[in-house]
Amino acid sequence: MKHKQLCIISFLILVLLAGCSKKEIKVPLEDVGMVDSMAFDYIDENQMRLTVAIPQYSPDAEKDTQTFSITTDLVSSGIVEIEKQSDKKIVFNQLRVVLVNEDFARKGNVRKIIQHLYRNAEVGNKVLIAVVKDNAEAILKGDYPDKPSINFYLNNLLEPSINTAFNPNTNIHDFMYSITNPVIDTVLPYVEKRGEKLEIKGVAIFKGNHMHELIKPEEALVIQALSGRKNLAPLHLDLNAGHGEEKVMIDLIESSVKKESNKNMESPKLTIFLKIKGTLSEYKGEREYQLFTVESISDLEKDVNKQLEQDIGGFLERLNKTEVDPAGLSEEFRMYHHGKWTTKKTRELIGKLDVNVRVETSIISTGTLK
Amino acid sequence: MNTTNGKVLNRYHVIFLAQSIMIGTGILSLPQKLSSMGYTQTFMPLLFGVIASLTLFAMVWLCSKFPNDDLFRMNEILLGKWLGKFINILIIIQFIVFSAGIISNYMHLIQSTALQEQTITLPVLCFLLLLIYIVSGGIKSIARFCMMTFFITIGVIYFTRWAIEKGDPSHFLPLFNFTPNEFYEALKQGYFSILGYELILFYFPYIIDQKKAFRHSLIGIWISIFLCFITTAISVMYYSEWQLKNVEFSVLNLFKAGEFTFIERIDIIGITLWVLLILSSVTAYVWCAKRGVDTLLKKKKQNYQLYIIAFIIFIIIKMPFSREFQEKLFMASNYMGYLLVIWPVFLILIYIIRKKQVQV
Repeated sequence: MKHKQLCIISFLILVLLAGCSKKEIKVPLEDVGMVDSMAFDYIDENQMRLTVAIPQYSPDAEKDTQTFSITTDLVSSGIVEIEKQSDKKIVFNQLRVVLVNEDFARKGNVRKIIQHLYRNAEVGNKVLIAVVKDNAEAILKGDYPDKPSINFYLNNLLEPSINTAFNPNTNIHDFMYSITNPVIDTVLPYVEKRGEKLEIKGVAIFKGNHMHELIKPEEALVIQALSGRKNLAPLHLDLNAGHGEEKVMIDLIESSVKKESNKNMESPKLTIFLKIKGTLSEYKGEREYQLFTVESISDLEKDVNKQLEQDIGGFLERLNKTEVDPAGLSEEFRMYHHGKWTTKKTRELIGKLDVNVRVETSIISTGTLK
Repeated sequence: MNTTNGKVLNRYHVIFLAQSIMIGTGILSLPQKLSSMGYTQTFMPLLFGVIASLTLFAMVWLCSKFPNDDLFRMNEILLGKWLGKFINILIIIQFIVFSAGIISNYMHLIQSTALQEQTITLPVLCFLLLLIYIVSGGIKSIARFCMMTFFITIGVIYFTRWAIEKGDPSHFLPLFNFTPNEFYEALKQGYFSILGYELILFYFPYIIDQKKAFRHSLIGIWISIFLCFITTAISVMYYSEWQLKNVEFSVLNLFKAGEFTFIERIDIIGITLWVLLILSSVTAYVWCAKRGVDTLLKKKKQNYQLYIIAFIIFIIIKMPFSREFQEKLFMASNYMGYLLVIWPVFLILIYIIRKKQVQV
């Protein structure tokens, strides 16, 4: 009996109180504009140009991507401005790619805008970041007739693939991790527009919060190998080891790296053992008709080792001179250092670091032809 | 007064009660709480485990002297009626505020990550309804709920897999790289996360095999400690020191590292499953608070106290004070929690002094 009364009372309360509830503003899915890519261009210290690309799924839309550009000083106030222009509510749940132009990377505060996105719970951690030559807005607004839309194109281009394994595929987490970590300098892929195509031209290396220099894909490959990536891009080498000019192309299958430091901050020495395994996919040069025996292959391996040691050593020396450490070599010293580690220590250390590279190549096959 | 009508908790109940109450919101922000020690925080949870085991020993020893009484009764017996009652009231308030703190913390998390455009009133109400339902089933119902929670939520550990892959084990070195101050700060901030095992002081009378209660509780504690250890270890590998310090719910960000092609935000799965963990710890605290009220009023078999407690919790969560005041209040209740952990040691001293007068 008591239960019945309770039921009736609660039912009545529920019905009557329903009138008191506030009308909740929920945006239906059709009215949501999901930002897929963002671009930041540098104007001056306080101003930047923000461009967002929103894919249009309506079949009637002639263009498949809607873009908005705005000049603003803060990211979020720019978004508010864009919302005023847009017929939809702007959300970031589907954000995939963030582009910054080179000027921005060199002079602007990239860390601030990425940190803003990192803070935003809507944004996933897998948003890819890239530096763009000249104008980032032009890339989002460009025409790519053979691609379904700029969003897919950019995302696929920057995603990890074996042929662009030199590309660090930096996402928001990686960026925040490396820019806040005193032992590593941030690296970002560098994209250039050429007519109707986009191309990853190389890798931008940061020193502290700003872009420092641009390096070539071959060099970026070294950084990736040294920071421990297992699968690398095909390696192209010019040998000059007493057999005239030779060109070798090795499809890398696996690489592993081991670093040993002398743990001494005053006269730091680092030995890097790099093991690579690969297939000899192409060879051009004097030895072309001798490469059938195990001995000749192992001779070639030795030459490749020497060449690589020389190349990597030279490259690292160049980096060390400018005191940047994109491969995180100073981590080997931080591991044994008691007390706080600072960026200043990294710079000092990397400046006087003596690197010794040992490469061990093994060519496991030369294809199926004998 | 005989406070136990029947002993209902078997050994599995004891294990998972100890285990599940400990894992609340604490573990979500544990790496951040310990971040004053930077990378060296990895092994702090193990130290916490040792401290917990020692204090647990004191608790169980005390309980075994009064096998049919909970802490509320013990306070009255050992400290005298009025002082005991006063302490009991303090404990009840502490439990209520503490529960409100846990719920509020979780709702804050929900609001900042999952439901940004919604007020939390309705979720809190639903949560409290569930809470009342579980608590009114008694301690056995809570224990069963804790077991269920453990087996449902333990699977989320899988989501940390990508973070392990990406992480850098060299962060574990160098060992013991901290100053005493940093250590103290981490100890103070971090130990909240593993509070919860002290509730054995209240459900001890219901345990069937009281002789082995220590061992079973210990198993539960070390399961939790192990989970905390994994959490901090993975966070240390995956984050930079700055991130450890600044990412508020670092564990959810670990989930975010996930790479499923069909799910974008794995962290949302984590958060929603977490409600079970929150429920299991809060229910236990509320149950204890209700028992306290029962002993104070000497009334039994009535549930209206429970509704009142739930209402008070609701008020505390929705109270119109500044967030700063709320934070301070919850902090204070956390420190009271520390007192409760050491309280049994104090009672043991009194027991030894007044042994003859209080012999049961």
